[in-house]
Amino acid sequence: MTWGPMFMYYHCPKCGLKFEYAVDLIPEFGEKFGHCPKCDVMGIYEKDGARQPDDADYLEVE
Amino acid sequence: MAKKTIITAAVTGAWPKKENNPNVPMTPSEIADDVYACWKAGAAIAHLHMRDDNGNGTMDKNKFIETVNLIHERYPDCDIILNLTTSGDIYATDDTRLEHVQILKPEMASYDCGSMNWLNSSLFINSPAFLERCGKLFQELNIKPEIEAFDPGMIANAAYYLKKGVLKAPLHFQFCMGCANGIPGSVKNLVFMKETMEQLCPGSTWSTFGVGHSAMETMYAAVALGGHIRVGMEDNVMYSKGVLAESNAQFVERAARVIREYGNEVATPAEAREILGLTK
Repeated sequence: MTWGPMFMYYHCPKCGLKFEYAVDLIPEFGEKFGHCPKCDVMGIYEKDGARQPDDADYLEVE
Repeated sequence: MAKKTIITAAVTGAWPKKENNPNVPMTPSEIADDVYACWKAGAAIAHLHMRDDNGNGTMDKNKFIETVNLIHERYPDCDIILNLTTSGDIYATDDTRLEHVQILKPEMASYDCGSMNWLNSSLFINSPAFLERCGKLFQELNIKPEIEAFDPGMIANAAYYLKKGVLKAPLHFQFCMGCANGIPGSVKNLVFMKETMEQLCPGSTWSTFGVGHSAMETMYAAVALGGHIRVGMEDNVMYSKGVLAESNAQFVERAARVIREYGNEVATPAEAREILGLTK
């Protein structure tokens, strides 16, 4: 049994953008993991898990 | 002589719903049709999970029975190897996890060779008692275990059960790469899993898949390293970056192209039976 990639979901405290990061990209992003792709500030963590029902509301940062 | 590479299609899994990908098969009828499409595309093995009427993963034996019967009734020409999960619902009891295999006696079934945290929120328990019971039952029923290993410790567990007689050589592993709480997906880590298996369980065969961003590098590496491949929406609903998969057959078709362009051949179910030593 697998459950697909795991994501951490955030929103930006500056611009309000909702975005997500795949946990398997922690090595690639390093300290930037969880940063807003527009403002480059650390996002506010909302939740994590496999793709959520409202996944389409979040920009997947790759 | 070209090497034969086995493609396993894991069409449904326990998690993706229609909101994740509208093309994921979820009912027995959808799953049966999808399995046939994957077989036509080149899959030699179908790894099956079931869903309840709310779309959640279930170990309901009646769903498995209905699906398997539909495959046989609708597609009598389809000789795909059926590989049934024993881990479709992390809340299922040990008894419920094994009811369907005792009735259906499939050629293969999954054997998750250890416990782990699940999505950092719960537990995926495969207790020593369950693994001993499952291993012995599979031998009794002549079911080939597909030993799912999410980390190298699970390979070591398999070596222990081999020595104890709970599992019988030759073993077949499915390296589950890149799952949350498991070994991260990368070529380096895949090589490590393969070498660990060769050291602890020599003579074993292996297949693999990568979840998420490691999917493609894992597939290419598997072919190059002499392994077999698993694809399907159980593990990935995206075909490529930002692009949802149209079908499980699309994944199988790509795997078949990769295998042929490398210079290998796609194993038929009959050839897969020979490679894996299936005797049913």
